[in-house]
Amino acid sequence: MEANPRGIPKAPFVDNVDQYMKTDTVEATLRKFTEAASKYRFMENSKLQQRASLEQKIPEIEKSLAMVEFLTEKRGSDQSVETLFEVNDTLYAHATIPPTDTVNLWLGANVMLEYTLDEAQELLSSKLSIAKTSLKEAIEDLEFLRDQITIMEVNTARVYNWDVKRRRMEKDAVSA
Amino acid sequence: MSTDKFPLLQREEERDVEVTWEDQQRINTFSKLNTRLESLEDEYKKQKTEKEYLDDLAMEIELLDDEQPVPYKIGDAFVMLPLEKAQNRVEKEKDAIDAVVEDLDSQIAGISAEMEELKKALYSRFGKAINLERA
Repeated sequence: MEANPRGIPKAPFVDNVDQYMKTDTVEATLRKFTEAASKYRFMENSKLQQRASLEQKIPEIEKSLAMVEFLTEKRGSDQSVETLFEVNDTLYAHATIPPTDTVNLWLGANVMLEYTLDEAQELLSSKLSIAKTSLKEAIEDLEFLRDQITIMEVNTARVYNWDVKRRRMEKDAVSA
Repeated sequence: MSTDKFPLLQREEERDVEVTWEDQQRINTFSKLNTRLESLEDEYKKQKTEKEYLDDLAMEIELLDDEQPVPYKIGDAFVMLPLEKAQNRVEKEKDAIDAVVEDLDSQIAGISAEMEELKKALYSRFGKAINLERA
């Protein structure tokens, strides 16, 4: 079966309803279509969550990067930097940062590692670009899923219409 | 069965138009563009507000005493910056956001135009059997 780059299968498009309906009953076909559509919707939901988490992560990386870039600008000068740093959500305290060549990055899993400013910038930039790529892919997948859901919906509507028409013709034939 | 916003093909419609793969692709593209447009419009609104804040800020900052350092937010911390440096940063941010807003604007215009084209094509094929208006 054909699939997109992340292995999500393509929905089958019904080219000719008459042909298609030769093999299966209307009920079975509609059930099959609904099932496929709900599978796509399930995937869509999980991708939406993935997108939301990336959209949150990216600004956080950008913030860290902005600070590292600021400290890089200050590097080499003998002046310390006066700051107000966040102790808690609504609580800030004064802090003086002496001239520095290094920063500590929080890596997760309760680990913090000291990096030179250049290394930190490199690491954060690469994290940022990876996150942005993942976000782009998630959006691509979401658009792809939307396409597949639309196809299944159009398929459903057409089979349904086809059935309504067939029933009416049968009725007309009987009463005639 | 319809999408959340568009009842794409109405069930009861009996006009005999076969949906070709080409039609299906047009419908897909339209639906996709519509979703894209919505998220771009959200983003545009957000950036526009941000831009207004920055414009206000640029005005206010003119009134400050230039002897006093200003706390400027970088990341999650405030850094005490000389007024001039802070102004430069505000200017830079303003330029950046102007570019973003302009870019969003032209993307939105492009997508809207493309959607109009698709609308014309789809309506001329399916007439009332298809609904492409926003609910």
